[in-house]
Amino acid sequence: MSCGEHGTRDRVNSMINARQPLIELRNLHRYFGETRAVEDMSFEVYAGEVFGYIGPNGAGKTTSMRILATLDEPTAGDAFVDGFSVVDDPDRVRRRLGFMPDYFGTYQNVNVGEYLDFFARAYGLRSDERKQAILSVMDFTQLDKLANKPIDGLSKGMKQRLCLGRTMIHNPSVLILDEPAAGLDPRARIELREMISQLADLGKAVLISSHILTELAEICDKVGIIEQGKLLAVGTVDEISAKTEAISRVRLRTLEDPQRLLGWFALRGDISEVIVEASVVTFNHDGDETAQAILLREIIEADFSIIEFASKMKSLEDVFLHVTEGRVQ
Amino acid sequence: MTSVSSTSTESLAEAINDPAPSGWKSWLGRAYRGLEMLADRANPILVKETRQALKSRQFVITFLVVLIACWIASFAVVAIVGPDVYFVAAGAQMLLVYAVILAFPLMLIVPYSAFRSLASEQEDNTYDLLSITTLSTSQIVTGKLASAVVQMLVFLSAVSPCIAFTFLLRGVDALTVAVLMGYLVLASLGLSILALLAGTLAKVRYSQVLVSVLLVLMLAGCFFSSIAMIAGFISESYSFLRDVWFWVGNLAFLTLYLTTFALLHAAASAQIAFNSENRSTPLRRIMLVQQACFLGWMTVPAIDQGWEIINMMLFVSAIFSGIYWYAMGTLLTSEWPHLSRRVQRSLPQSQLGRTFFTWLNPGPGTGYMFCVANLTMLMIAGLLALSFAPTTVRGGPNNEQIFFFYTLGWGYIVLYLGLGKLLISFARRFIFVSLTAGFLLHVILLLIGCGGPQILSYASSSLQFGREYSLLHITNPIWTLIELLENGAASIEAWTVLLVIGPAAAIVLLLNMRAVAVEIQYHRSSLPTRVAEDEAQLHPEPEAGPSNPWEAEAENDE
Repeated sequence: MSCGEHGTRDRVNSMINARQPLIELRNLHRYFGETRAVEDMSFEVYAGEVFGYIGPNGAGKTTSMRILATLDEPTAGDAFVDGFSVVDDPDRVRRRLGFMPDYFGTYQNVNVGEYLDFFARAYGLRSDERKQAILSVMDFTQLDKLANKPIDGLSKGMKQRLCLGRTMIHNPSVLILDEPAAGLDPRARIELREMISQLADLGKAVLISSHILTELAEICDKVGIIEQGKLLAVGTVDEISAKTEAISRVRLRTLEDPQRLLGWFALRGDISEVIVEASVVTFNHDGDETAQAILLREIIEADFSIIEFASKMKSLEDVFLHVTEGRVQ
Repeated sequence: MTSVSSTSTESLAEAINDPAPSGWKSWLGRAYRGLEMLADRANPILVKETRQALKSRQFVITFLVVLIACWIASFAVVAIVGPDVYFVAAGAQMLLVYAVILAFPLMLIVPYSAFRSLASEQEDNTYDLLSITTLSTSQIVTGKLASAVVQMLVFLSAVSPCIAFTFLLRGVDALTVAVLMGYLVLASLGLSILALLAGTLAKVRYSQVLVSVLLVLMLAGCFFSSIAMIAGFISESYSFLRDVWFWVGNLAFLTLYLTTFALLHAAASAQIAFNSENRSTPLRRIMLVQQACFLGWMTVPAIDQGWEIINMMLFVSAIFSGIYWYAMGTLLTSEWPHLSRRVQRSLPQSQLGRTFFTWLNPGPGTGYMFCVANLTMLMIAGLLALSFAPTTVRGGPNNEQIFFFYTLGWGYIVLYLGLGKLLISFARRFIFVSLTAGFLLHVILLLIGCGGPQILSYASSSLQFGREYSLLHITNPIWTLIELLENGAASIEAWTVLLVIGPAAAIVLLLNMRAVAVEIQYHRSSLPTRVAEDEAQLHPEPEAGPSNPWEAEAENDE
């Protein structure tokens, strides 16, 4: 796992991964006339996983999410939620899925409690079960003090919480969140991130899209990089990074004259772009982590006094920019 | 989800863990719980929209306007009539005033609110959220309609004291008031479901504006024409209400109303349903029922006035049925030809079921055959009636005219629907043809058939000038049939027309058979295992109990 504090989730993942995925896209295509919004997209998300969906505007994130939410139909291929086809069994999918679109969708003359009550009723919750669900959701989203407040008077962050509450009112096993952090202040973002992590800890499969890559890096177990309707890479940040780029940046500190080290480097073919700043030498190394370990051993065997050797971890931004070849709009 | 905390949502928490109250409070508690249970079973949209309506300014203002209008009318009449109020029977006039005041919200405000309620779901981006809940599309439409009914009841209750006041003024009886109120409620409900259907048609902003304007014009037209109808009914109610045929006519109207209402409800639900759902079969079932009811009621006068009139009644039925099946056929033949896997799971399975119910399956081919089969049945019924009981009604069309009307009418509809269907299938090879586009193609085809010869005759000096009917206008079904009924079979050279239209219809019917054959070859597909498991979990089969006392005893012993 590349990022985040995922203690409980590791356990949940290991328990559940053997079973069928909660979200599955199978060769999904969606064309709008000549425009290929989604093209041959396939991936799986298991219970307890947070799957980050990354891509520039118009890449096909929202289209594929809408198909999963049974709001649109694929041109070809299929998508499954808990084993049910979104095309053939949308009603069964809806019972298991909570969708939070990138807009609020609120009613006039309705307060927070009434709003949640309506959606609880609409999902078929009756009597005490409904009241219990509303209480739980209000408690989880910390909206309990605002039950009687009109929705129009809520701040953006509070509205976003309310929408998350609505999404999980029927306790779905799958959550699809389209740009949930858009327009939120840093504090609200952190809180939202925590909520999403908690939901994953409860064994829910979460598919989340965002432009803010650091947000995703914090909470996602896996990411999918999508551009022009195509899924370019899927996996953990490390997996994608390893698959797509073998060169890593290494930082080294020596007690000796770095110029001697430079002479040694010059004899090797796997080192390039060397920069020396006092005792610190940074360079590109063409090789994976095993190759780096061998390089370190060889440097020490060559009798250099090394006091620091660090390979810089690639960030999600690095991976994304590399995979999309910097074509982000 | 985390555990429940008791912060400031105590009221909800208390509601869950409510201790049993005692004494009179227990009655209140029971009543409260009863109401809660009722609300629990109520449509969620009804609950939400009632809450919204109670807080909305528009509803309060309309309610007050109606109330004030009633008060002003009451005071005005009492002031004008003055002391004569004790001697003059002013009840009928007052009832007219109050009925018109009531008709305004019932025929304008309530249906328009229903339309806006659905249209605003699209505008406020809440429709997506609503459609992914477990509410069915039928529940959504019913919920919107139910909230219109609640508004209707509130307006009725506001005007009811004034209606009661008309009794004190004399000149009107309870039955007249009840029937009039019934008509108003039915009109309001009918217009509301029509408005909801309009709301489902308007999905983008510009079409919403267009539909909205058209709807307001239609509602205003209905309102103004209702004033004359209300006045006519009140003035003639004494004779109307004592005539048996008035009640028979009303019953027939009610049957037609209910089936049309069901059709519009199903159409509105189908409009907002997910594409893979079977949206056509419920509509076709209702069409069949409606057709049967209509034909049934048309034969009722024959029971009273003898079988001589049956021909006339069937002839009148044929005119309406022909228009009806052509209109429905334009939509049915524009349906998408491929059945979703979901629809395939519920296709008829047995040989008998496949023979009779395949025509109810979605698809343009089955839709075409469904219309043709209904039309053929109508034509056969009409021709049989004609041969067994020739018409003796004076002033109406003769037997020859009726014969040609049935056969040519059948031929024209089969021909035009079939050609339209072929045209749509051809267009679908290159572009996506929606239901609306298919319908428009049918309309254009009919317009070409009617207007083409007319243009030709105007353009060519060698051809007969367009005022007179000639064989050039054979493609114009409207003129041909009207000419047949007005001037007789000879005026249109009926046998020649029949010899052209009949084979042409048969050829088009045969050309469509290939597509029909493809559609009827669909078989029921089995339920996926995952769906079957879920179904079993949702609706478990009841455990088989003991079938006799000995088995029960044996079970008890175990």
